[in-house]
Amino acid sequence: MVRLIDAQVSYADHIAFSGFSLEVKRHESVSIIGKSGCGKTSLLYAIAGLIPLSKGTVALTEGSESCSIMFQQDRLLPWRKVIDNVLLGMKPGHETHAMELLGEMGLGHKAHDYPKQLSGGERQRVALARSLVRKPRLLLLDEPLASLDEQNRERMQEVIASVVEDHGITLILVTHNIQEAIFMGSRILLMTDEGITFERKNPYHRLPEFRTTDEFFALERELRSRLGGTA
Amino acid sequence: MRYVHPVLIVVLSWYVLAWALHSPIVPYPHLVFSHLGESLIAGTTFMHLFHSLYRILTGMAFALTFAIPTGMLAGRFKKLDHMVSPVLYLLYPLPKIAFLPVFMVLFGIGDLSKIILIAVIIFFPAAITIRDGIREIPTQYLELARAFHLKPAEVIREILWPAVLPRIFSSLRITVGISLSVLFISENYAARFGLGYYIMNNWVMAQYVGMYSGIVLLSLLGLGLYALIDFCERLAIPDAAR
Repeated sequence: MVRLIDAQVSYADHIAFSGFSLEVKRHESVSIIGKSGCGKTSLLYAIAGLIPLSKGTVALTEGSESCSIMFQQDRLLPWRKVIDNVLLGMKPGHETHAMELLGEMGLGHKAHDYPKQLSGGERQRVALARSLVRKPRLLLLDEPLASLDEQNRERMQEVIASVVEDHGITLILVTHNIQEAIFMGSRILLMTDEGITFERKNPYHRLPEFRTTDEFFALERELRSRLGGTA
Repeated sequence: MRYVHPVLIVVLSWYVLAWALHSPIVPYPHLVFSHLGESLIAGTTFMHLFHSLYRILTGMAFALTFAIPTGMLAGRFKKLDHMVSPVLYLLYPLPKIAFLPVFMVLFGIGDLSKIILIAVIIFFPAAITIRDGIREIPTQYLELARAFHLKPAEVIREILWPAVLPRIFSSLRITVGISLSVLFISENYAARFGLGYYIMNNWVMAQYVGMYSGIVLLSLLGLGLYALIDFCERLAIPDAAR
């Protein structure tokens, strides 16, 4: 689904990441954790085609149109109603699908409100609906829940997990939050300046009841120690 | 209702001034209002008001027709901005009224030269404000447009235009005052209608009550224009969408 080979992204004053290779298979959910500044966001942007690679290659087997991204901030246009934000850039004929998605997110009744009239959690759900209305086969999530409180974050993780499963979407999630990475990713990658330094299969992902088990905390401790401090 | 108190304060101060000076050059407000009412009923001032309103609204429309694309393009494309902005900075501070004779030679002594003068006055601040508005659009919205593969026309419709719309209204509010002042001066040349002509004609004939009714009408025209701009802004940008 996604293949990066020896990829590098560099800016005028620094290199975001270099010599990076990654392969993500169809229907996989990959969580990428790493310290601030290790190039996680640049990696997602490079996959989405928002920034060019300075070296190496990135290939999306189903084309860039099959990919949708959800940003750290909701990035809803304040001057457009919720439904118009969801349908941003879409050709006519997707209104029913957009309303269905908003309904799934519990926001059907807010379709004609403006973003200003929504709570932080609701805004993020609209942003998710906007990413999903394009029927992506690859969904890139750039710390989309960082601004939410603990309760809303867990709720949104479950919403995303269920949508991703129901729609058969391949997922790449970049996050600071180790618990989120464990819940969302069937594979967890640890990213540092040297690339992927640790990788682990996670059979317990998308299981809410797993959140309070010893295995969950053991995995969290292991990832935290490998990360070496705060993410 | 929000205009009642300011109007009362102005009228009261006017009464005090008229009483203190006790001169025909500052007549009592009730004399002016009654003259204004009579002339409006008789229809003699309507043509003057209509001509001034026509010139200023057409000038605004002309100015925006050129300022919107200029500001948007300069704000969006740096290279173009490097060429356009120095020209704007060079011409903006010049007193445009100085060009009235040139405009009269180029565009005739009729309405067109006056309209173009107003348009030129509004154009510069509007173009600069719109350019700044485009520059200040958060990059995250433009990234969003790229991520969702928006076409250039969609970027303009969905992001650039709504983002600069409040700036357009602000620039109009800023320029209404100066436009009215310039309109007043320009209507003193080769004009038979317009509030500027009406005021100065009454002054020349020492009809001070008539002159003041023209001034009041000019002030009401300004108030009406501000109210119109506010109304259009509320219509175009609902509170919840700001």
